[in-house]
Amino acid sequence: MLRSRNLAECRFYRERMGADARPMPWGLAELEAFAATDSSDPFAGRVHDGVTPKVSLQLEATTDPSIWIALDPPELDRWAGVIERMWKRWGTAPGEAVAFFDYGCSPLVLLASSGYVGYLRRGAAERLGLTAVCNDGVAAMAGRMVGIVEALEPSMLIVRRDLAVPFCLALESAGTNLADRIRWLAIAEVEGCANRREADQLSARLGVKVWRILRSDAAFLIAGECAGCRAFHLDGEYFAEALASGHVAITTRFAQLCPAVRFDIGLARLINGGCPLEPRAQRVEC
Amino acid sequence: MLTAARTEPFDDLDRLSPASLDQWWVRKLKRVAELGFDELAFYRKRFAAAGFHPTQFRTLDDLRAIPISKKEDLLAVMQNSRSKFLGVKSYTAGFDVRMTVSLSSGTSGTTYVVHTRRWRKLQGYSSSRAHWWAGLRPGTPLIMSAPAWHAYASIQPSIAMHFKNPCVVVSGTFLPRFADRIVDAILAFRPRFITMFLPMVFSILAAARRDGTSGEQLFAGVETLVVTGAPITPGMRSHLQDVTRVKRVAEIAGSSENLLAVDCIHAQGLHVVPDTCYAEVLDRKSGRPVPDGQRGSVVHSSVIPAGSLYLRYDGGDAGVIDRSPCPCGLPSPRIKLLGRWEDCFSVGDNTLLPYDVQFALETEVPELRGTALVITREGLANGMLRLLLAEPEGSAASLLDKAKAKLSRRFEVPVEISAVRDLPLRFKGVPPILSEQEAASAA
Repeated sequence: MLRSRNLAECRFYRERMGADARPMPWGLAELEAFAATDSSDPFAGRVHDGVTPKVSLQLEATTDPSIWIALDPPELDRWAGVIERMWKRWGTAPGEAVAFFDYGCSPLVLLASSGYVGYLRRGAAERLGLTAVCNDGVAAMAGRMVGIVEALEPSMLIVRRDLAVPFCLALESAGTNLADRIRWLAIAEVEGCANRREADQLSARLGVKVWRILRSDAAFLIAGECAGCRAFHLDGEYFAEALASGHVAITTRFAQLCPAVRFDIGLARLINGGCPLEPRAQRVEC
Repeated sequence: MLTAARTEPFDDLDRLSPASLDQWWVRKLKRVAELGFDELAFYRKRFAAAGFHPTQFRTLDDLRAIPISKKEDLLAVMQNSRSKFLGVKSYTAGFDVRMTVSLSSGTSGTTYVVHTRRWRKLQGYSSSRAHWWAGLRPGTPLIMSAPAWHAYASIQPSIAMHFKNPCVVVSGTFLPRFADRIVDAILAFRPRFITMFLPMVFSILAAARRDGTSGEQLFAGVETLVVTGAPITPGMRSHLQDVTRVKRVAEIAGSSENLLAVDCIHAQGLHVVPDTCYAEVLDRKSGRPVPDGQRGSVVHSSVIPAGSLYLRYDGGDAGVIDRSPCPCGLPSPRIKLLGRWEDCFSVGDNTLLPYDVQFALETEVPELRGTALVITREGLANGMLRLLLAEPEGSAASLLDKAKAKLSRRFEVPVEISAVRDLPLRFKGVPPILSEQEAASAA
């Protein structure tokens, strides 16, 4: 975890330091407000001046101003580890394929393979012995996604939430039944998560297990829904704390170059441990 | 005394003489043919049917004994086999489940291209050569210009790591509606080298203009702009130089099936990247090599012994080849892809590609270079060339009259040109053939 002295070297945090030497919790709105004060800094004050990160990712959730996050290679690997463990909890087997219907720039895709982003040593798919295939994440490509399902027989699918309906329609139009083919399907929002009812409806429509992903790229947060308790299990790379406002704040342990300390994910319930499937994991319900 | 500018060699392969490169290619292609024979039923059957065995492979002429494959052949394999993948992938380095698969889509269907780690290593090195030729050097940030589904995505990380370039990943996907995000990336990271799909270049210029940023301001500090995804005419190249003020606009031609060629500083054709592929240009009817400069089918063979293997693959492109020595010193022949045969059309006594129309227009009326245009189906059905031209800024009707007269004389067919208020930016660079209704709804 970053020391407060190091954290204060980042302009964004320096202005947010509280009396307890910890930064005040922040969200995308605060980040955007800071970015608007200095358009020359793509990282909105979260990366030390003069540092050239090996990998910079543009946040999809913010547009004007454009904001970037940054990682060094070891951090990239640790982030990929989060995805590896999330998939592992849902179940995978070496030799299977995972297919994506999302933008290629989504961390869910990028972190799957060293073939998708530079400086990643081993992506999540590579660690689990999986083949990865990505379809371009636009609705017009739903038919091609059905083709991938039929030809490459992936066992796992990661689908962008806004593409779930076009994908269902394309499957139905082709008469392709996922129930016998797919181990699980996960849906992801650009920021936050899909609601549980929507996931359940999708699951009923497709006849497969549908898991939700909680995502916030500004904090490098990726968490998967638990098959047992249905809460989001936080990987050991994250530390969560309940705030007096009823919100939950997340700190990402691996993020040193572009620290993510006390990122406010909004209204949520934090549960410390207690799920039989992963007794020590911090869990979030939202 | 003036001397012609030479390309700085990437490694010793670039220092070979053309004859030595041919010998090098023989060894590499023989290895791939052996692999195809040993491991892949697809090639074993095709070799047997043609009476070819890899042991017979001694010169590049022997390559001609290998039957040509087309996308239809690959789709048929997919259709008939119960295999998850096409029958053209090799596991030379052992079965590697840690593959990525990219998609090769087109009007005829989607095929899947396998990228093993070994393929990525070899192709990454070869593509680094290609980008070196195009002007990429260590240090500059590299904006990732291909989404993960595209084969280019599988080599960009290797290129970045070879040159130790920081990677800049733009959000969204590469559609015009995300152009403003690419503009933000260019302004924030100020790369010296940019690779971009041609239609996206115009989209990002338009997005920048909306924010009051000129092309010159957007591309300030950019030394090389590499365009890919469409053949550019000389006029389009100089138009891009005019609007961006980038000194070097280079072209890369590539395909998911391992065709790769890049132009050098002389920009007189694209050098085949030798450790990716060997290329032939063949007469469409006889299948024999065409003389230099004559149009034919571009057929290539991958020399990378890993991943999906493509031996004498006809990707449906029309092109020309030039085997004469290039003043830049690179030993590989130059090719120029001119378009897809499926876009070829006849009018009068001419068989043309949209490239020809654009080239003719900019040659006859240089003021119109870089203008977006559409070739209408209705015109072709009536034996004439009818063009819809995006109204050039500040142009007079006389310019269109001049173009009409000159094109009519050049092609010896009636020509009609109508100025239209607007055409989508994606039509710039590659004139599509559309009905007038399609063109109107697209605008």
